[in-house]
Amino acid sequence: MFSKKKITVAYTIEQCTKCGMQVKRKFKEGDVLFVNMTKCVSCDGLTMIEKIFGESTDQ
Amino acid sequence: MNFTSFDFDQLFSMSDDSNPLMMLVWILPIILFVFYGQRIQLLVTSSEIKKAIKKLDSFRDTSRTELINYIKHTLKANDDPVKKIDRFLEYFTIMPVDMDPNGIVDKVHHIVRSREDFTRLQVKSLSPEMNDIELTKVQTLLEIASSLQMIYKIVNHMFLTAKKQNNYPLILPLQMMLPFIMEQAEAMKEAIPAFKTGQPIGDGIGPMVVGKMMLNNTKNSITFQTVSSEIDFEGRKLLLLKAEGPGSTVGRPADALEIIVSNDKPDAIIMIDAALKMEGESSASIAQGFGAAIGGIGTEKFQIEAIATNNAIPIFSIVIKQSVKEAITLMTKEIADTADDVCVQVYDMIRENTTQGQSVVIIGVGNTAGVPQ
Repeated sequence: MFSKKKITVAYTIEQCTKCGMQVKRKFKEGDVLFVNMTKCVSCDGLTMIEKIFGESTDQ
Repeated sequence: MNFTSFDFDQLFSMSDDSNPLMMLVWILPIILFVFYGQRIQLLVTSSEIKKAIKKLDSFRDTSRTELINYIKHTLKANDDPVKKIDRFLEYFTIMPVDMDPNGIVDKVHHIVRSREDFTRLQVKSLSPEMNDIELTKVQTLLEIASSLQMIYKIVNHMFLTAKKQNNYPLILPLQMMLPFIMEQAEAMKEAIPAFKTGQPIGDGIGPMVVGKMMLNNTKNSITFQTVSSEIDFEGRKLLLLKAEGPGSTVGRPADALEIIVSNDKPDAIIMIDAALKMEGESSASIAQGFGAAIGGIGTEKFQIEAIATNNAIPIFSIVIKQSVKEAITLMTKEIADTADDVCVQVYDMIRENTTQGQSVVIIGVGNTAGVPQ
């Protein structure tokens, strides 16, 4: 009766294949695991999607 | 006011000079409950079940609408797909006779495969823009919608039969099972957005681990919707198997294993899969064990066990525990975080159970939606 409705937000973790730096951002349609994405912000390496997951929060 | 001086005899009309009206207050409910107790219980239970049926009806309707909209708007269907989809939702499967169980697995396997092949062809005819990945998505969404339709129909049938016969005992099994049925149905409804957007689900942890091991190695399509890769690990040959991602499919691991074993007899099989956690167990916990870790109707498991037995190959398994809802909805952070740990455990298992020069088949079991290789 008093339970709050939970909403799940999908996130994508991009990890640089060279320096290992991780960036967490909201999931975009078309994201799939292990795909090379953009250039790393801290080195000249390429980032790869390491994880896609959902986090639930109370509405 | 003194609250300690109650006369209970007087209060409950127990003394000899009791009020006849108070006597009636006692006797009437007893008569009512003796003769109409079951009907009253039926009424109370009915209202709870009615609410659940209303919810199931809305789930069924939502899943159907989502499927139709996806085909209409995202895939630009040839013509109005509503009629065709409604027909698909009504398809049924008649399981073979089990009076003589000899050979029943092959029969079930044949019926299930025929149904899959037929559905695939029918779904493909819905839109010219349907590629293989979209096809697997629509097939999964169709599977969800038809399962929700079937659940609604069965629960409604049981409820209406009990009401029609005014038979309270008939409604008891339904009342007992309803929380579990609702949990499954809610999980299926919540799985729809994940499949539509191609996100990995909790069940995809097995393919995710093996897909990660396959990275930067040559992949071959070994059988329908299944890929394999060969890598070396500390003098051992590892043959990796998983469903072909990122489409929503579980592939055909048993057929792939049969092909591998016919070419090169492995010394061990390691299966990685998601497993249902028990109440009280923590989600995303990892456990190791023996035997084929694979769900489904049982034909794939039977086939894998038969291959392993005939060739005397031990089967080890690693499972990642999760709830029904976690298994079919968007992968949680806790489950995604276990991938590296599972990888380490797989390598430890290989070191402990094999020696250099031996070969091991590693199968990532589960739906590979959003998980390529």
